[in-house]
Amino acid sequence: MEAPPVTMMPVTGGTINMMEYLLQGKAGGQRGAGGGWGAAELCVSGTGSVLDQSLESLLHRLRGLCDNMEPETFLDHEMVFLLKGQQASPFVLRARRSMDKAAVPWHLRYLGQPEVGDKNRHALVRNCVDIATSDNLTDFLVEMGFRMDHEFVAKGHVFRKGIMKIVVYKIFRILMPGNTESIEPLSLSYLVELNVVAPAGQDVVSDDMRNFAEQLKPLVHLEKIDPKRLM
Amino acid sequence: MLSKKLELLGAEKHGAFGVDCETYHTAAAISSQGQTGKLMYVMHNSEYPLSCFALFENGPCLIADANFDTLMVKLKGFFQNAKANKIESRGTRYQYCDFLVKVGTVTMGPSARGISVEVEYCPCVIANDCWNLLMEFMQSFMGSHTPSIPSVFGTKHDSIYSPADTMVQYMELFNKIRKQQQVPVAGIR
Repeated sequence: MEAPPVTMMPVTGGTINMMEYLLQGKAGGQRGAGGGWGAAELCVSGTGSVLDQSLESLLHRLRGLCDNMEPETFLDHEMVFLLKGQQASPFVLRARRSMDKAAVPWHLRYLGQPEVGDKNRHALVRNCVDIATSDNLTDFLVEMGFRMDHEFVAKGHVFRKGIMKIVVYKIFRILMPGNTESIEPLSLSYLVELNVVAPAGQDVVSDDMRNFAEQLKPLVHLEKIDPKRLM
Repeated sequence: MLSKKLELLGAEKHGAFGVDCETYHTAAAISSQGQTGKLMYVMHNSEYPLSCFALFENGPCLIADANFDTLMVKLKGFFQNAKANKIESRGTRYQYCDFLVKVGTVTMGPSARGISVEVEYCPCVIANDCWNLLMEFMQSFMGSHTPSIPSVFGTKHDSIYSPADTMVQYMELFNKIRKQQQVPVAGIR
């Protein structure tokens, strides 16, 4: 009998407010020409990072700095869904599936608006809800009234250090809607993201994140990106 | 009476179980855009404690983490929880050889609305292959109340039975009970 999906960490009873702390690669000159990308996507698409030539040295550095684990790569297809109501801003959900690992469940993610103010914090903080689901997720979202806004393929490497997660990946544009075979890279660079998902109020983690980011200089400058600045 | 009959058969009590179902209305915000006011059901089953099942009538059934409940809170501007419509079935699990029988009292708010009986034949994953066996077993303790073949079997043909199929049956049963009062109906897997 098919087992229902189970998350890696069955921690919450739905009561703990989980937050994502995020630092991203410095916005350089090679900003991807993300035509038609929704505003909510900007925090990812608007960041430049390491050029392809420097990828190996960054990976090498990360292998040295991070937990000793088997190098892990990923190839994901992400679809961004919007639900429009009478409110000004639509409700955004991201559905992600792995294209190279068939057995893993689909991943549904909600990201809230970044918390404003607090200049002392070193990372962008926003609410997040992660849900593992069965593979009929897209049908279900459409049934709920969502419609797909855009999609892309992300391919890259993932590293961990404690609860920090570092992803180095490249975004590919999907040339024909729904066909994840025909894709083309969006830019000549890789995005670098450092993030932590932690219960609300644990702002100490942002200090750890900054310290870690320091160690990646000058290969990549991880910064707290203000999505509003990119709009 | 059912429990007594089961115990007479030699079935052993094996803990408790619970299935609950919450109803969500599409808020005016979306339905005004020409969509019909669909109902969405979010269900839990103690047999799968880390999961959450979200269904539409005659629509897809999504199996998700229990975290899905948190998402529904975020979505409350779009989907409103009809709290008064929360319906659940709680009762005892019985084990009899390879059969698992769950007899529960269906309650909606403070009032009891009926009795649900779930029968599972554990060694088989293809429902059509063991339906006759299930029916024979049910007749032994339910007599004339034995139900006819559930509609999910019709669409499944010879494919593998999944937890989602059980939840669809509970949803249909709960909907029936909501509409017609005080009539015991049985849902079978």
